[in-house]
Amino acid sequence: MKTDLIVFAVLFGALAAVAMIRLIKGPTGADRMVAGDVADTLICCAMILFALYSGRGIYLDIAIIGAMLGIVDTMLVGRFLEKGGKK
Amino acid sequence: MLMWIKIISDVLIACGAFFALVGVLGILRMPDTFCRMQASTCVSTLGVLGVALGGLLHAIFVMNSASTAVKIAVICLLILVTNPVGSHAIAKGAYKAGIRPETPMETDDLGRDSE
Amino acid sequence: MRKTKAPAVIATFVVCFLFWLLLTWSVKPQELIAGAVVSLAAALFSARFFIHEKAFWFANPAKLFTGLFYWVCVFPCELIKANLHMAKVVLGGCKVKPGIVKIPSSLESDYGRAALANSITLTPGTITMEIVEEEGKPWYYVHWIEAESDGEEAGEAIKGRMEKWIRRFWEK
Repeated sequence: MKTDLIVFAVLFGALAAVAMIRLIKGPTGADRMVAGDVADTLICCAMILFALYSGRGIYLDIAIIGAMLGIVDTMLVGRFLEKGGKK
Repeated sequence: MLMWIKIISDVLIACGAFFALVGVLGILRMPDTFCRMQASTCVSTLGVLGVALGGLLHAIFVMNSASTAVKIAVICLLILVTNPVGSHAIAKGAYKAGIRPETPMETDDLGRDSE
Repeated sequence: MRKTKAPAVIATFVVCFLFWLLLTWSVKPQELIAGAVVSLAAALFSARFFIHEKAFWFANPAKLFTGLFYWVCVFPCELIKANLHMAKVVLGGCKVKPGIVKIPSSLESDYGRAALANSITLTPGTITMEIVEEEGKPWYYVHWIEAESDGEEAGEAIKGRMEKWIRRFWEK
């Protein structure tokens, strides 16, 4: 009955793994950061679906913290680039 | 009745997965840094919205759990509110650090005005 | 350094306390007291960074309803249109023509300006890069994936219906 949820969760995890290609390859720091941000968001989605599949709320707490920390590191890298970091 | 709700929630999650796929493909295929940022917005708007709406339906009607539903809504709101701030910071930082597309942009008002 | 004002502290305290309730999800007295103390301390230290204008400007049912209508009906419409267009560009392989355009706006309050900038960034295809103020009006530098026009015309194409609703919600 709940197989669809785990299938979608695995799909989102696989998409995050595909986004990692850009993170490894990306020519500039901004490219890597964007790919990392997308991977973070996708892992949050996968965690929501896995929490629904397993019926345990602890994964949702982890997803909240992941979403909150995602913005912090994006802002950090953005500020670093703005104040004259290397490409 | 429960069957229909399951089907609707699956369709919503599938829509989210489709837009997430569009965003990830856009990150891989777009020609320059700023266009990749544009594509990445797809993931964090309709991708997250689809998953969150489908998950909300599932949590309310199938699991009957209020705390799960509220937490999913908060994750969705958090991502939707914070994502533009992050992508604004990255775009401005990338422009200030001197990252430009390989083929120069035809209209570049920011470059014109900051000279 | 800005001064800490009482309404700003109260608003920040309420938001922090709601977040605490959400994470713990219990109404035992000791948890409530601990949460209240921690959120009061956080509000006292950080309220002056968050809220610069009136803290309770939305305490008006008509205004609240307008805002709700904007965020539930008008904005998702624009969002879906822009997302479908982006899907067409990525999957169909249309040519893109990126560029940075400068568009004018006529919003006055800081909240309204920030909301319009966030709305523009949140629709795929446009990213706000910088806001400058000239002659008392804000100008937005927007990176646009289909930069075909400039000035007022580009502003109409990018802002669409959003600016009208934001002005109705945030100004007067």
